[in-house]
Amino acid sequence: MAAFSFTRCLVRSYFCVKCATHVQTRLQTTTRMFCVSASRSNVPKAQFTDTEVQDILTKITGLDLTKVFRPIRQQLTPPKYKLMTDTELEEAVHKADEQAKHLLKMPPVLPERKPINDVLSEDQMLEGMDTAKYVFTDINFNVPHRERFIVVREPNGTLRKATWNERDRLIQVYFPKEGRKITPPPIFKEENLRVVFEQDRHEEALNQCVVQFEPDSAEFKNVLMLTYEDIEKHGKYDLLRSTRFFGGLAWHLVNGRRIDGLLVDMLQRDLMQDAVRLVYLFNLVHPQSESAQQAQGQQAAGLDLLKIYAQYESNRAAFIELAVQTYEQTEALSSF
Amino acid sequence: MVHLSSFLLTKYHGGHIVIRLALGGATNRPFYRIVAAYNKRARDSKYIEQLGSYDPLPNIHNEKLVAFNYERIKYWIACGAHTTKPVATLLGLAGFFPLHPMTITEAERRQKAALTEEVKRESQEQVEQKEAL
Repeated sequence: MAAFSFTRCLVRSYFCVKCATHVQTRLQTTTRMFCVSASRSNVPKAQFTDTEVQDILTKITGLDLTKVFRPIRQQLTPPKYKLMTDTELEEAVHKADEQAKHLLKMPPVLPERKPINDVLSEDQMLEGMDTAKYVFTDINFNVPHRERFIVVREPNGTLRKATWNERDRLIQVYFPKEGRKITPPPIFKEENLRVVFEQDRHEEALNQCVVQFEPDSAEFKNVLMLTYEDIEKHGKYDLLRSTRFFGGLAWHLVNGRRIDGLLVDMLQRDLMQDAVRLVYLFNLVHPQSESAQQAQGQQAAGLDLLKIYAQYESNRAAFIELAVQTYEQTEALSSF
Repeated sequence: MVHLSSFLLTKYHGGHIVIRLALGGATNRPFYRIVAAYNKRARDSKYIEQLGSYDPLPNIHNEKLVAFNYERIKYWIACGAHTTKPVATLLGLAGFFPLHPMTITEAERRQKAALTEEVKRESQEQVEQKEAL
């Protein structure tokens, strides 16, 4: 067990060393933008799907194997013990890392889907032929769900494409997905979500949400937003730390320019590298902000980024500066 | 392999393949499967392939759910299958076939019936008002 945690610490620190050099080279290549108003769209804003952004988000999510593989409700089987050599143990740890990365794959942040308003034909002569709508679904197995034809014939004769809600419901009827219900369960109403948040069960609610809704639907984004707001309000960042939702939380806060709470939390837990990465991400997403421009001007890296951010953008400048100073002092002491 | 339906029907001389509704469900609760079967077979017995379903009772959202496997329907029609009138009406409503003339005729008949009922109701109301006065 000691060897396991030792290898884990080694792996962690190796990643940190790799990141520091990476950060320096990247900063030199970012272009300088003049101060423009926020509504100009020709500034290349960092998107969620950029490799760089994903890289940063996966690193700040962390890889706490004990939390990722904590006991979930499954069938009880007696534990299996294996006798392994050191190399085999390393391989097993490596495999566990891979599987943890797969479990930590972030749910995508997509733009909200536009409503479907296509009318295929209007037949006024059919008006009054029936009191109910007819919904026609194509049940061909080889067609991806997004391209399936689902049309509705209204009682007044118009033949239109089905709305997104109708589509989701009917695809669940004919091609049921495990865990998804046809009507969304009442947990996703605001009052019930509040109760769940009070019990600190954000992760369960988010897991249910990912299973139930499509990632670009309005309800999915709404539930995510409520969860993130609640976590931000009470400062419960650690609940999501080694789960696959941490990246989404960080992205939401960075876009809303409210990373102070998260930064303070990271500094309190002595996660200096994560804090640096978070500020770097903030500078990537808001290249016109004061701290980004100063960092670009001074070619800052590492803890200087934190200091610049604390000086220009933060509301809790004193705390951040104090934390950075104490960290530098402890580093200086330990290097002697 | 080309499936020409006349080659299949060595036993049923003069028969053909139809796409029709096979009834299932329970008492006072019908449910139809849209099915490709031989013409001479019983309505609910062994079919060649199920191509969809039709639920004639509307659900909570006032919808009648119909499912079609258009690829396979195209295949069987290419093999020479006939469709029955209800299946042809459903396909017409779906937009896959042109509208069936009986759908339009039925709609017109209902509109006429609704009009005559309205006229009757209005005349009755007028008579009642005159009696009240």
